[in-house]
Amino acid sequence: MKQDCIDIGLIQAFMDGELDHGQVDRVSGHIAACDTCALLLADAEDESAVVFPALEREFNTLVPSQRLWTKINDSIATERGSRPFWQKAWEFLSVGFLTPSMLAAASLLIVVGVTALVLTGRQPLADDSTKIAAVRPAIATTSAVPVISSNPDVIAPDVAVASTNAPTVRAERADYRPAVRRVYEAPVADFQPAVVKDTSNGYLPGEESYVRTIASLSRSVESQKDNTIRGSERMSFERDLAVVDDAITKMRVEVKKDPKNESAKQVLYSSYQNKIDLLSSVSQKEELVASLK
Amino acid sequence: MFFRSRKLTIVSAIAAITMAAAGAVFAQSTSAPMPLPPTVERGRVPRVAPPVRIWNEDHERAIKTDANINLSLCVLQGDVKVNGWNRNEVRILVTNGRNFTFKVQQKSARSGDPVWIMAVAEAANKEQAGPISECLRGDEIEIDAPVNATFNLKGQEVNTVVDGIRRVSVKNAGGDISVRNISDGVTAATYRGDLTVEQSKGAMVLENTAGNILVFDAGPSEIGDIFKAKTTSGAISVQKIGHRQIEVNSISGTVAYNGDILSGGSYSFWTSNGSIKLSLPANSSGMLTASYGYGSFNSELPFKLNTETVTPGPVKSIIATMGSGGDATLKLTTNNGSISIKKQ
Repeated sequence: MKQDCIDIGLIQAFMDGELDHGQVDRVSGHIAACDTCALLLADAEDESAVVFPALEREFNTLVPSQRLWTKINDSIATERGSRPFWQKAWEFLSVGFLTPSMLAAASLLIVVGVTALVLTGRQPLADDSTKIAAVRPAIATTSAVPVISSNPDVIAPDVAVASTNAPTVRAERADYRPAVRRVYEAPVADFQPAVVKDTSNGYLPGEESYVRTIASLSRSVESQKDNTIRGSERMSFERDLAVVDDAITKMRVEVKKDPKNESAKQVLYSSYQNKIDLLSSVSQKEELVASLK
Repeated sequence: MFFRSRKLTIVSAIAAITMAAAGAVFAQSTSAPMPLPPTVERGRVPRVAPPVRIWNEDHERAIKTDANINLSLCVLQGDVKVNGWNRNEVRILVTNGRNFTFKVQQKSARSGDPVWIMAVAEAANKEQAGPISECLRGDEIEIDAPVNATFNLKGQEVNTVVDGIRRVSVKNAGGDISVRNISDGVTAATYRGDLTVEQSKGAMVLENTAGNILVFDAGPSEIGDIFKAKTTSGAISVQKIGHRQIEVNSISGTVAYNGDILSGGSYSFWTSNGSIKLSLPANSSGMLTASYGYGSFNSELPFKLNTETVTPGPVKSIIATMGSGGDATLKLTTNNGSISIKKQ
C-alpha cells in the first residue's frame, strides 16, 4: 500500500455518494492509478452486492430521524406561509370537492355533455354524406387488384387501388366538414415484407404458380414445423431451405440479366421444385405421424 | 465513519434474522404431527389392480393366403423384418409387444384365399377405453410372406429390412430402410434415416429427408421402369443399375453414380450444394449437358464440346457429345460443387 492510499472509510463514503465533487475527482483519479485502492473498492462493492439485497427491506423501511422530521415540518410551514391566494383557494377546493363521489359525478356530467355535443353536431354531416353518396359512384371506382411482389417468395395481400379516370365532382355546403378518413393497413404476414410489383419485371412463364404454391406451403409449414421437425432435423431443414433460397435468388438475378439463359432458367425451376418438395415433406411427415395415431 | 457503524448494524441484523429463522424452523419441526401409517383393515387384502401385461409378451399368428397376397400394416415402434418364403401363408411374430390379429380385406374370387390382409393390433383388454391405434408395437416384428407378396408398411420410428418378396412400399417417419431381392418395384421413404436397396428390380422411388441413399445392383423388371432417388440432406450413391430413366436429386449432398450409360437412357443428376461424381465405362456415349456454379468440370472421358458458356456468375454450362454420340442424354447440375467424370 502506498503512503497516499485512501482509507476504507473514504472509499465507503465514495461509494455512498457522500463526497463532494472535488473529493470524488481526487478519489476516482487515485483509484484509477492505484491497484491497491482499486482492489479495496472492488472488495467493498462485492460486500455491498451481497449484503444490500439481503437487507434491502430493512433499509427501505428506515424511519427518518426526529431532527429530519423537524426540518421537513419547518420547510412545509415556511412554504405554506409564502403561498399565493389562488393556491390556497385551490387547496380548499381540492379538499372540499375532489372526493371520489364528486369526481364520479363530474365525469358523468362531462361524458353526457360530450355525447350530446357529438349527437347534435353529427346531424348536418349525415345529411351531407347522403347527398354526396349519390354522386360518389360517378367520382371514383374502387377495384381490388393483387399486388405481386418482385421477390418471388413474397405474395403481398390484395390492396384496394382507386382508379380516378372519371372527372372529380364535389358538392360542398358552406358548413360541410369532410369526415376524417381512416386508412386501414392490409394485414401482412410478419415474415413477408411486401414489395410493390414492378410490372416490367414479370414472372417467367410458369414461375408465378411456383411462387404461389411456395407461399401457400410456407404459411402452413410455419405453423407446423415447430411440432413436426426438431433438433438436428430442424437444423437440416433450415439449412436446406437456405440453400434452395440462395439458388433461387441467384438464378433470378441471372435470368433477369440474361433472359435467354436457358441453363439458369432450368436451375431456377428445379430450385423452385426442390423448395416445394422440401416444404411438402414437413406436411407429409405430419400427416404420416397423425395417421398412425 | 458510516462504514463501521453500518457494518456493525448489518452484521447484527443478519445474526438476528438467522436466529429468528432457525428458531422458527426448529419450532415447526418439533411441533409438526407425524404422519400416520396407512391402516389396513384386518382380514381384508387391499385391492391392487394387476399389472396389464400388454407390451412384454410374444404373439405369433399365421394365415393361409393367396400367393399374390397384399399385406398392409402400420408399426409404431420396433424393428420390422420381412422375409419371403415359398409358402402361401403369412406368419407374423411380435416379440415383446402388443397382441394383433389379421383382418381380411379381400379374398380371391378363384381360390377363396385372402389376397389382401391387414395386421392390426388388438385392445389390451375389453375394458380399455378410448380409441386404440391399429398399429403394431414391439421390440421386433418378424414377418414371413409368400415370395410374390406385396408389402405395405407405414411406420413411426421403425428400422425396416425387407428381403425376397415381389413389391415393397414403406413409408416411415424415422428409421433406416434396407431392401434386398425385390423382384418388382420398391417405393421407400423415410424422413430420418438411411435407405439401402440391393439386388432388386422394378420401378424405384426412394425418398429421404435427412439421410443417405445407397442403391447397388438394381434394374427394371419391365421396359420403362423408372428410378428416382431424392434426398434433401444426404448423399446418394447409385451403383450398377440398369434403368434407362434415372433421376437422382439431392439438395445438400454429394451424388455419385457408377454404372453404364445405356442407349436411349435419360440420366439426370442434380445437387444444389455438393459434387457430382460419375464413374463411367470408357466407351460411354451420349449427349452431355452439365451446369455448374461455383465449382469446376473435369472429365477423364473424351468429349466433343458443342457449346460452352463460362461467364462470371452462378451458372456455367457445357453441352458436349461423349464418345460416338448416340441417343442417351446425361444431365448434370450442381449449383455449388464440382462435376467430375472418371473412367471405370
